[in-house]
Amino acid sequence: MSEEHGLSARLADDLDRHFEQLVRMFQDRLYGFALRLTGSPQDAEESVQDAFVRAYHALERYPHEQRQTLQLKPWLYRITLNVVRNRVRRPVLSAVTVDGLVGDRLMDDWREQPEVVAETAERHRELANMLRELPSRYGTAVVLRHVQGLSYAEAAEVLGQPVGTTKSDVHRGLRLLREALARQPMLAGR
Amino acid sequence: MIEERQLLRDLRALGDVRAPTRVLDRVLNQLELGDEYALLDTLLGPLYVAWNRDGIAAVMRTSTGEAFEERFQERFSRAVRKAREVPCDLGDKFDLRGLSEFERAVLLKAREIPRGETRTYGWVAAQIGRPAAVRAVGTALRKNPVPVFIPCHRVVRSDGQLGQYALGGTEVKRAILEAEGVATERLLRRASA
Repeated sequence: MSEEHGLSARLADDLDRHFEQLVRMFQDRLYGFALRLTGSPQDAEESVQDAFVRAYHALERYPHEQRQTLQLKPWLYRITLNVVRNRVRRPVLSAVTVDGLVGDRLMDDWREQPEVVAETAERHRELANMLRELPSRYGTAVVLRHVQGLSYAEAAEVLGQPVGTTKSDVHRGLRLLREALARQPMLAGR
Repeated sequence: MIEERQLLRDLRALGDVRAPTRVLDRVLNQLELGDEYALLDTLLGPLYVAWNRDGIAAVMRTSTGEAFEERFQERFSRAVRKAREVPCDLGDKFDLRGLSEFERAVLLKAREIPRGETRTYGWVAAQIGRPAAVRAVGTALRKNPVPVFIPCHRVVRSDGQLGQYALGGTEVKRAILEAEGVATERLLRRASA
């Protein structure tokens, strides 16, 4: 948190000089967020690029004081969410996408426990698909709170709604996910 | 019903994703904040020079622009693009990110040495308040990312030998010093006198 706060102050002093650091600090999180919402690595990549460019132009316009006190994390998530929502939806060619999760981390363990890794990858893929099939209100709330690890207060700020509403959306989303999983005994039993 | 804790663990794992490395480069390029380069004429002939909003970032001798882009990426972990136009004056600011405080102090001290003159490694070490760090001064000068522009070639050994150079061997160092009007042979004679 303090690292982010320090960055707000530096951006207020010299936007051009410190903007690269902002991209480095948030690109993985925002890409992961966009990927879970869109299901498409290409859409996620373009959304995140677009979000950073918009963020830069917004910061250019903000007065010094506003830049200095800006809560970067919820602000950037909110911009990314708006970009994803406003993009013209392209048909996703394949519902099953190989993303960094399967590609990087799980493959490291592949040689040791291939069955376990395959099962975990399959479970995560299914879960990612289920998340996207939730009504977007609940899906987005669950992604912010439990995939991205934002606090309820931060998630509420991103969504522009009261904390109580966010909590109830998250709980509703989790319940819907559990119900969907229960309908798939192969996955639920693991 | 799937266990609650397992579900939360799986959800968290879905967030463990890396953005493709090109995201950073594309954003910086779109905003024109990234590094650009061009082949420029210098005292040592044509050299590839990169700069960004912080100042001059890199000077290298490579056979082609592509080779320069590759070496730049290797050394600085970021992309560099060919400049559409070259500013008539690159200014006298430098991008020395990634260097230690000591290394920066050494390079900034070397900048103070006037053209046509030389100083010793020991002189630099003493000037920055680290008189015992003579060897480390040599190492820092060899890591100079912007040779020619920061004249690390003006720092020589106390025995009159020229010592190493960031942009090539002793012969390259001799060539640039002589181009600046330093009689390198005299350095040797003066040291042994």
